Amino acid sequence: MSLLGADSRRDMEIHRYPLIVYGLVPLTALVLQAWLPRPLGKYAWFDLPLVVTVYFALGRRSPIQGTLMGAAMGIFEDALSRRAIGVNGIAKTAVGFLAASVGIRIDVENFTIRLMLNFLLSLLSSAIYLFVYRILLGLELEWSWLTQLYIAIGNSAIALILFPLLDRLQLRD
Amino acid sequence: MASFFVRYRNLLVLLAILMAQIVGLAVQVRRINNTGRSSFDPNDGPGVRLIRLWAEAVVSPFERGIHGSRLGVEYIWNDYFDLRNVRHQNQELEQTIARLQLEQASLLEDARQGQRLQALLGFQEKYIYSTVAAQDIGSSGSAQSHVFYIDKGAKDGLKPDMAVITPDGIVGKVRDVFPHTSQVLAVNDQSSGAGVILETTRIRGILRGNVDGQLMIVGILADERIKPGERVLTAGGDLIFPRGLPVGVVEKVVRDPERDAFIDVMVKPAAHLDQLDEVLVITSTQPRFSDQEQKDIETSEEVKGAEAQAIKDQLKASQIMAEHLPGLIEPNVPADQQPLNDSTPPNPVLRPPLPLHPDRFSPGDAPTPDSGPGSEPATGPAGKPAAKPTQPATPQQPVQSAPQRNP
Repeated sequence: MSLLGADSRRDMEIHRYPLIVYGLVPLTALVLQAWLPRPLGKYAWFDLPLVVTVYFALGRRSPIQGTLMGAAMGIFEDALSRRAIGVNGIAKTAVGFLAASVGIRIDVENFTIRLMLNFLLSLLSSAIYLFVYRILLGLELEWSWLTQLYIAIGNSAIALILFPLLDRLQLRD
Repeated sequence: MASFFVRYRNLLVLLAILMAQIVGLAVQVRRINNTGRSSFDPNDGPGVRLIRLWAEAVVSPFERGIHGSRLGVEYIWNDYFDLRNVRHQNQELEQTIARLQLEQASLLEDARQGQRLQALLGFQEKYIYSTVAAQDIGSSGSAQSHVFYIDKGAKDGLKPDMAVITPDGIVGKVRDVFPHTSQVLAVNDQSSGAGVILETTRIRGILRGNVDGQLMIVGILADERIKPGERVLTAGGDLIFPRGLPVGVVEKVVRDPERDAFIDVMVKPAAHLDQLDEVLVITSTQPRFSDQEQKDIETSEEVKGAEAQAIKDQLKASQIMAEHLPGLIEPNVPADQQPLNDSTPPNPVLRPPLPLHPDRFSPGDAPTPDSGPGSEPATGPAGKPAAKPTQPATPQQPVQSAPQRNP
């Protein structure tokens, strides 16, 4: 991976999309994340909102936008669950910020790097979730790292298919 | 100062958003017990509830659309294309219904008797009185939270803490109610709880979910009587689920990792919690039969009445047949002198004719064991054997009993 100056890379490779994509893609991810566990049952090892957050954060290369998108997606997921609102929000806020910050500094056009980033950021999101729930809030929560590993692998697999599709929606000059 | 904000604006935005969420969490999670452990307040404040309402309002129309489309495709396929063996199945089902209706008649009598006895004992058993059928339209999407949404809400009469079941077994309870949808907390969530009882050993425990979404009964002392395969039922003490609903079967027994004397009983759920489609929400429980059950009782009574009538008809037919049979009933003879009431043998035993020259081999002249070798044979006064009457002086006991009439 090649390290570049932050401003030069950002100016060169900011991905732009039609406005409707910013609305529809996250909404679709949230709806599918809520619906797919029904037919898939316990094998729903993925976190589509996280994948979408990482994608837009890496593409837009704006930490503020990544932060806001992560926070919105996380809070939305929390609102649909029965848990306290903000736990997922904090985890995805941090992930969105980190993904955008990394996107400024490294070449994220490489698929392997994208997949590795997705995998690592998924695990990081799980770790932050666990930290907030158990340490920050002091609540009891049973946890399975194996499940989180499956989810991280699932996210990477989805990213492998989804990222090229979303790349086609970019606005080209 | 302005350059500071410009230079660190990314970090400042991040910190501001994180801080806002942490404050929001602090409002929701309160320290409410003396042990120092925090606890999540399940009753949402107005602000939190508003966020949940918005999220649900955004997602549920799409979920309804997806669910409706899938149901439409399934309906077309199942009702128009995939109709193989339906006629045969229908015949089998009709036979099953007929059999079950007869069985139900006797079971309902038992149930009525049970109710009467319970009323005598002052015990108020709750029966499921009314339910609302609902479709599962979506989930929370989180592996840590086993909740799902159904397409019925406050406008359909649903309220929090109502039990959600399927014909197979219990599913969960209504946690939050929105105008047109409701959030259901599944029994396999870590924060759920339901009072259960093992069917044969009658051991009670609390049912909850673990991190993998499996059902387990916690807080029971180690007991060797608990074996895999034993049925688990609701105990009825949690004020959510009526007593006696199926929960599942014991899958295995494991030691509680934190407490030596206790065990965790892993339960295989009776309901398909991973693939729910239609569920029933129990909206009311009453200590009496529901309208539908009353109809079933009437149907069973009718069926039972028909069965009794069939038996009566059979009896009547036998009576008519008996009346038409000659010799059994004489219409011109009083009832006490009917041939059926005559105890004399219709075919008396005929004695063999008397021999012209009786000897010791003649009937009646053979020595009996009690006469002994020295005893004399039964002879007449002239030393001849006594004459045997050809007909008995008194009516003999019948050899064959008179034909009995079937009552």
